[in-house]
Amino acid sequence: MVSSPPSSSAPSPVYLPDGDFDLVKILIVGPFGIGKTTAIETVSEIRSLHTEEPMTQAAASVDDLVVDGKSTTTVAIDFGRITLGGTRIVLYLFGTPGQERFRVIWEDIAQGALGALVLVDTRRLDASFEVMDLVEDAGLDYVVALNRFPDTPAHELDLVRKKLDLEDHTPLVTCDARDRTSVLDALRTLADHLVSRAGADLS
Amino acid sequence: MSRGQGRRLVPSYLAPGGSSAPTRNSLQSLTALIATSLPAKPHHTPAQQRLLDLTAKGPLTVAESAGYLRLPMGVCMMLASQLVDDGNLMARAPLSGVPDGIRTPGAGRPDKSLLERVRDGLLTAL
Repeated sequence: MVSSPPSSSAPSPVYLPDGDFDLVKILIVGPFGIGKTTAIETVSEIRSLHTEEPMTQAAASVDDLVVDGKSTTTVAIDFGRITLGGTRIVLYLFGTPGQERFRVIWEDIAQGALGALVLVDTRRLDASFEVMDLVEDAGLDYVVALNRFPDTPAHELDLVRKKLDLEDHTPLVTCDARDRTSVLDALRTLADHLVSRAGADLS
Repeated sequence: MSRGQGRRLVPSYLAPGGSSAPTRNSLQSLTALIATSLPAKPHHTPAQQRLLDLTAKGPLTVAESAGYLRLPMGVCMMLASQLVDDGNLMARAPLSGVPDGIRTPGAGRPDKSLLERVRDGLLTAL
């Protein structure tokens, strides 16, 4: 459920907490239907919000997008937030499809992001290559989270790492988008990774 | 113009009062907006009035305002820019220690201490 329209009644606004909080964002990216929206809903303290960003005319003319059988010239963004009161941070999670044809607006979406959680699925790993290209081109460090069932054999992780040709330093975790602890764990792994990468050479 | 073939990208009633570009290029998706007590001016659009109503009771980011008002973020940013210039909205930059709403071009990688606060905050999140 990626490009679902907003429900008929707008949720009442949940305002920002009082005091000096720093507002940061992390991207959650992956192909359509991978569970980005679910992951955001699972951990967000507000009902997740949705916007449709128009593609530029130039992009619309080269791409006649057809998604779920309907033509669209917009990119859907879902987002939610988590207040980390102890460290005065409001963390926003922006979910967006990482597809090559969205490159024109990707720079705007990635602007100021701390890093990205890339959701992948073994049934269509190929769809993840362009996602990772976009994330890397935006200069974002990332963690790959494999949508995996409990009985999936452990060796599959090694296989996925190899197929995706991940850098040695890029963490690969498993994640159940419906499970709050699981999503938070993936975000913790990402935050750990971002701290360890801070100051490291961009390569 | 291929535009006539489909629905409009942005409805004409959202056009921000004759200006086609933000008067300042400083707002970001996480810039916090809060209405001042200044009443809306005649040239403000209904969408701008709704933005002022929305942020009259507390601060919201550009992204959240766009979500609640069902506007694209880019459109919300344009509407907000004019309201900031007109004194109807106050904008607060996402990060403290960064001048009000100023986008730092090519600022590069995020600050390590900021990342540590995110990490430490997530450790205690339940």
